[in-house]
Amino acid sequence: MSGSDRPFADGFMDDYFAEADEHMVAVRRSLLALEGALGSALPSGALEELFRSFHSLKGISAMVELREAELLAHHMESCLRAVRQGRLTLTSTNFEGLVDGVRLLEHVIAARRTSASMPDIDPLVDKLEALGRTGDETLPIDAPAANHTSANAPASDDGRARRWRVNFVPSPQLVERGVKVDTIRARLMQIGDVRNVTPKVVPGGGISFEFDVETNDEAQLAQWQEDGLSYEPVASAPVTAPAENDAGAAPVERPLTDLTLAGSSNVVRVDLARLDDLMRLVGEMVVTRSRLEDTLRRIEAHVPFQEWRALQDHNARLERNLRDLREGVMRVRLVPVGEIFRRMPFVVRDLARDNGKRVHLELTGQSTEIDKFLVERMMDPVLHIVRNAISHGIETPEQRIAAGKSADGTIRLGATTAGETVIIEIADDGRGIDVPSVTQRARALGLVVPDDGGLESRALLDIICASGFSTRDEADRVSGRGVGMAVVRDTVEGLGGTLAVESRPGRGTTFRLTLPLTLAITDAIIAHVGEQIFAVPQTSVREVIEVDASLLHAFEHNELMPYRSGTLPMVRLAEMFAIPTATRPRYHAIVVGTGQAAIGLIVDRIAGQREVVVKTITDPLIRVDGVSGATELGDGRVVLILDAAALSRTRRQHARVITGVSA
Amino acid sequence: MSETSVAVPETAGAAQAYILFGVAGTTYAIRSHEVLHVEMIEHVTPVPNAPAFVEGVVFSRGQVVPVINLRARFGFERAAMTQRSRLLVVQHGSRKVGLLADESREFIRINDAAIKPPQEAIGGLSGNYLEGVATLGQRIVLVLNVREIVEMMPTALA
Repeated sequence: MSGSDRPFADGFMDDYFAEADEHMVAVRRSLLALEGALGSALPSGALEELFRSFHSLKGISAMVELREAELLAHHMESCLRAVRQGRLTLTSTNFEGLVDGVRLLEHVIAARRTSASMPDIDPLVDKLEALGRTGDETLPIDAPAANHTSANAPASDDGRARRWRVNFVPSPQLVERGVKVDTIRARLMQIGDVRNVTPKVVPGGGISFEFDVETNDEAQLAQWQEDGLSYEPVASAPVTAPAENDAGAAPVERPLTDLTLAGSSNVVRVDLARLDDLMRLVGEMVVTRSRLEDTLRRIEAHVPFQEWRALQDHNARLERNLRDLREGVMRVRLVPVGEIFRRMPFVVRDLARDNGKRVHLELTGQSTEIDKFLVERMMDPVLHIVRNAISHGIETPEQRIAAGKSADGTIRLGATTAGETVIIEIADDGRGIDVPSVTQRARALGLVVPDDGGLESRALLDIICASGFSTRDEADRVSGRGVGMAVVRDTVEGLGGTLAVESRPGRGTTFRLTLPLTLAITDAIIAHVGEQIFAVPQTSVREVIEVDASLLHAFEHNELMPYRSGTLPMVRLAEMFAIPTATRPRYHAIVVGTGQAAIGLIVDRIAGQREVVVKTITDPLIRVDGVSGATELGDGRVVLILDAAALSRTRRQHARVITGVSA
Repeated sequence: MSETSVAVPETAGAAQAYILFGVAGTTYAIRSHEVLHVEMIEHVTPVPNAPAFVEGVVFSRGQVVPVINLRARFGFERAAMTQRSRLLVVQHGSRKVGLLADESREFIRINDAAIKPPQEAIGGLSGNYLEGVATLGQRIVLVLNVREIVEMMPTALA
């Protein structure tokens, strides 16, 4: 089943995968919504969406002749039809069957994409087919569902869903926590039907949103009050429908369907490569403009002041326009971080079950936006940390109860924006990192561990991120191969981000990933060392200081200088990179990193701050520690972009003898 | 080394186009379809801690391209770059790599039959990069295997 025997279909495969991905996202979303409602009123919107997604997947899979996917989608569609017609009850066992089907479908699509061998679908297809044929079971859904041809058939179930008027007032504080109106809408859609949203101006000039929601999950609404929600039941259905009771509110129109359609009708799907091209063009314009500026400076003396002034004005305007253009293009590349989060409920659910644990997953800030490029690369690291949290962090229900905690562990996955960075936090309320065991294991591996017992969090991170480290004796299937955290940190830092961990015994562990919003263009500090010029991304720079050579204290392998109330380890870039440079009485230093990880990078001088276009370095010949990319400043020469985090790590790992310091 | 067979397409006996270049007085050849372009070269930015034969990086048509100093690669002393120095940007798989040569001015066709496998007696090379030896009248031209030159060293550097 390789791709080669399907030349005709191959031309469409990229489109197919993109479209299939979108449908799979919808499938996962609906499955989750349904799972939450098993045994009670199934949200009709989710049921409908799921049905439609399977239907579409069946169609597009048939078009590209991916028979396995077509079959799976077809049988799952049949199952859902049976559910809609009331022939089949969505018990948790049946639901599992669907989940297995979806997972296999994913697998099939992935296999086609990577030309891997096709998984065996027959057993599951048989099972799903049998499910879909179910016809004689007692009607579990009391409504005469078969008579309804509309989307809402199953919604009229047991009448427990009530209507609420939910009010949301956005605030900067909430936005900081990643709670926006989109977040709220997404949440409400998870627990029920959102029939309508009305923005309202509140006295004082602010804005609020009124959601008309049908749900039976009042407890959840209550919980969200801290996120700026208030709610009240709608006494009676305001529209037609003479309600049997005030909550019955028979479905009037096709609420969720309409909402979904409205949401997607004015969306354009763009190939990321085209955006990259656009960004590259913007990048070239930025470089051209900086050349223009250099030229302007040079001719200043030769041009009448009035003329020069006009040129300068145009240049300034061009710069502003370019910044706007750059931001605009950048914004197009931003996607909600929720793309990463969406898979998590599945992972958590499966792993918790496999590990005999009970885990409740809380997601916040799904609508926080981040560069598409980063989203794709953050998926695995986040997945890995979440897996660790379940297999290592969260205790079994018995252990938790014995420790006086609730039987259900909680993993909080949240995203927020802070300036030019996005912070992703993964927090569990488990047992925390077992420091003595970590220390012991680290020593056994020959890693240096400070003796003072209390491992400072940065040191702890260094240990758990050391490659080959795993606190479990056998690497289990969940946490993988013991290379995990090393890869996680390398990935995060390779993207110009930082990773931090905080752990409290018995209380849990929090990992914090701080990432730049986007990679393509960034502000950088330009530094000279001997003949060489380097750029250091502004996001990783804490401050730039002037250093008097007499303040540098050298001792074996190290150099320190007084800094604030303590000392700061210093690294001479000239030494580290073996660049010939003259001894000077004064240097500049770039302070990067925080706390124990802070270091000062000594350079000859700082030439200022520039907007630089980041080009990635991919060739293995030039991928070296401490260099994250390349840029140019207008003269066509390559300027290397330094990876501050990697430099400080290299520094910690192989301290070098520092010579030639004026004592 | 003689087992390194010359990749001769179906049209054995046909001629292929090569780009000739000089390094330390010897003439080398690379199949022209493997060469993206040949550039003048002014400034190469050194990359700290890269392998010794890597001269550094340049931008070539907007892309970051590593530069292999062929003198250093073949075990000669480095020489200062001159007006005649050329960068041959070769494509290998998805990689683009620049090869720094002392000069490069010729584009010729060599008959496949004129290229012989390297003799057994040629030894002491740092890799299988020598694919064949062509004799063109009085001239000896060493035909290089781009893959061997571009791919060999990353393992050595890890």
